[in-house]
Amino acid sequence: MQSTTPTADDDPRGESILSIRNLQTVFRTDHEHIRAVDGISLSISPGETLGIVGESGSGKSVTARSIMGLVDAPGEVLPESSIVFDGTELTELSADQYQEVRGSGVGMIFQDPLKSLNPVYTVGNQIREALRINRGITGQEATDVAIDLLEDVAIPDPERRLDEYPNEFSGGMRQRAVIAMMLACDPDVLICDEPTTALDVTIQAQIVELLQDIQAERDLAILFITHDMGVIAEISDRVNVMYAGEFVEKAPVEELFANPKHPYTQGLLDAIPGTSVDDERLNTIEGDVPTPNQPATDCRFAPRCPKAFEDCTEVHPTHVSVSDTHDHSTACLLYPEGKSRTERVEHHRSQAPADTQGGAQE
Amino acid sequence: MNRPLYIAKRLLLGVPVLLFGLTLTFLILYLGPIDPVLAILGKDATPTAARNLEISLGIRYPNGSLVPLWVQYKNFLVNMVTFDFGTSWAIARDQPVAAMIVGRLPATIWLGFWSVLVALFVGIPVGLYAGLNSNSWSDYAASFGGIVWRAMPNFWLAVMLSGLLTAGGVLDGYGDFLIKTDVVGTSNALQHLFSGIDPFAGVPVLEFFWIPVPNLGPMAEAFKWILPAALVLGSSSMGNEVRIGRTAVLESLRSEYVDTAKAKGVSPRRIIVKHIGRNAVIPLLPVIMGEFYLLIGGSVLVEKVFSINGIGNLFIRAAFNSDIPVMMSLVFIFILMQILFNLLQDVLYTYIDPRITLSDTTE
Repeated sequence: MQSTTPTADDDPRGESILSIRNLQTVFRTDHEHIRAVDGISLSISPGETLGIVGESGSGKSVTARSIMGLVDAPGEVLPESSIVFDGTELTELSADQYQEVRGSGVGMIFQDPLKSLNPVYTVGNQIREALRINRGITGQEATDVAIDLLEDVAIPDPERRLDEYPNEFSGGMRQRAVIAMMLACDPDVLICDEPTTALDVTIQAQIVELLQDIQAERDLAILFITHDMGVIAEISDRVNVMYAGEFVEKAPVEELFANPKHPYTQGLLDAIPGTSVDDERLNTIEGDVPTPNQPATDCRFAPRCPKAFEDCTEVHPTHVSVSDTHDHSTACLLYPEGKSRTERVEHHRSQAPADTQGGAQE
Repeated sequence: MNRPLYIAKRLLLGVPVLLFGLTLTFLILYLGPIDPVLAILGKDATPTAARNLEISLGIRYPNGSLVPLWVQYKNFLVNMVTFDFGTSWAIARDQPVAAMIVGRLPATIWLGFWSVLVALFVGIPVGLYAGLNSNSWSDYAASFGGIVWRAMPNFWLAVMLSGLLTAGGVLDGYGDFLIKTDVVGTSNALQHLFSGIDPFAGVPVLEFFWIPVPNLGPMAEAFKWILPAALVLGSSSMGNEVRIGRTAVLESLRSEYVDTAKAKGVSPRRIIVKHIGRNAVIPLLPVIMGEFYLLIGGSVLVEKVFSINGIGNLFIRAAFNSDIPVMMSLVFIFILMQILFNLLQDVLYTYIDPRITLSDTTE
């Protein structure tokens, strides 16, 4: 049976460690409210990797920061949002309680490994700090555990490396050290915000492999954010495609690459260099991601969409399931397939009010 | 490259700088329109007296011929490098210059010490506070205050402040407030301070609930006396520290390592003290080190206005009275200090910022 609720695929097995409902993060400036994340829902189970992919400015990093509780003024996570980690509603926590969750509960790896290590302290110092705060390990024991962790992330000669400063590490080594530092916190969920973007391709592959090994070892849930379709294909189990603060398509990774449904996803896949060798020019999606400063009353991709029709500018699409065999949904007026355009538009129109009123219908 | 070797190398490189500075000073003083004989004896001196004076000053041989400039230059260099500062020509005839400097050193160091401390303990905390609370009203107040402090020139501020505190100014009561001190002039508070090293001796010990406590009276007196002058002397550094401290904190606050530390679950307090604090000190170091020049060199104007009998005052009197040995000795000491402070700053950098190493580019 085809389900059309917006959250149908968010918790397929009911065992998620992190589950997000209707997350809305807005940035208030003097003249507008930018809805950087506009009502997204997702969930991750232990041992699973969920990829979020999208262009720059689509709201991927803000999603990560919202989960971490690191959205600074003038940004704000709206009260209708729900982020449940291991049975705890994070959005209701005080600053002190949130601090307890960070590290030992949810860890995060940032894009630039040089900038994410403090330049004036040794790598060992920063790993030991994570150990002391999250696991109460101090002294010689902390040093020993830190050496083990560096070994785990395949840094050679870890004992000596512990006393070195971040600037003495190469780019790939630094990202390994950051991963070791986050593992020192022993988190259940690891958010990786473009962790491979600043690295060259061979190092990227090594880091992705390392993350997969660690995940298998520790049953870690990983939220992997990137704009690189190749990396997404490599690491993810499921993929959410993000556009202008919303998820436009959610699917298991093979299904997404085999049967992309949303025109935006199709555009992203077409834009990978090398997919069509005969073309003289690279395929692109014309235009830029719009700044979502109004509640969505249309499809935000419509101005750039090659398949847009007039209703696309008037009706906000909701998620519809597009596969009988897979957990695959997309938010586009072209679906559900097999119905007439009027029927489809009517379907989305009838769903729309529920979606804008919060979306958490269960 | 190891540290002692680096320091040795830098000291060696300081020698040409020192020589250049001394040569320049020598040329300016000896080739300039300064006539020490005229300055000392006045216009009505007899030729015989002038000649005798010239001989005793070492610019004329006893046989009557003038000492060539290069011989004077050589003598001057040898004297300076061997720390033989000679005797004063004009201010205090035949008194050893070294003794004159040492005698005035306490006042200048006391002034410099407090001007650095006041600036440090006010400027840096205010700057850090402003950075941590950026774009709040307290930040605007602190930043604006920093600019104003920075902008007020010493000579103006010194005159205004001494006027306010004395001679019927608004704050005329300052001298009698709590402890009686002079505001302008060299207080004997300093002599009290330096004569009684034993805090329990000399001045009456205060008894606080029958428990004898060290009498902080002389200290408080000396502090209160120097405070206005120290505020003026430290004003521009204080303003700088507010501005640079604020910027440094803001920059560090927005950096990714702070986000990473938060993601590790580090407490906000610890993030400020450990992760932001040390990074914010790096751009502040040159400002703080720059202040230490005040200890010796920067106080000429302030000492003059507040009539403090220190090195700065000595220097200006030497300049007005053509007392070449005093001027030369002071310039020599200033150059030496400058070289040493620069070296100290570079070495300190390597302790604060591990990204900076002592490898030199010539290798």
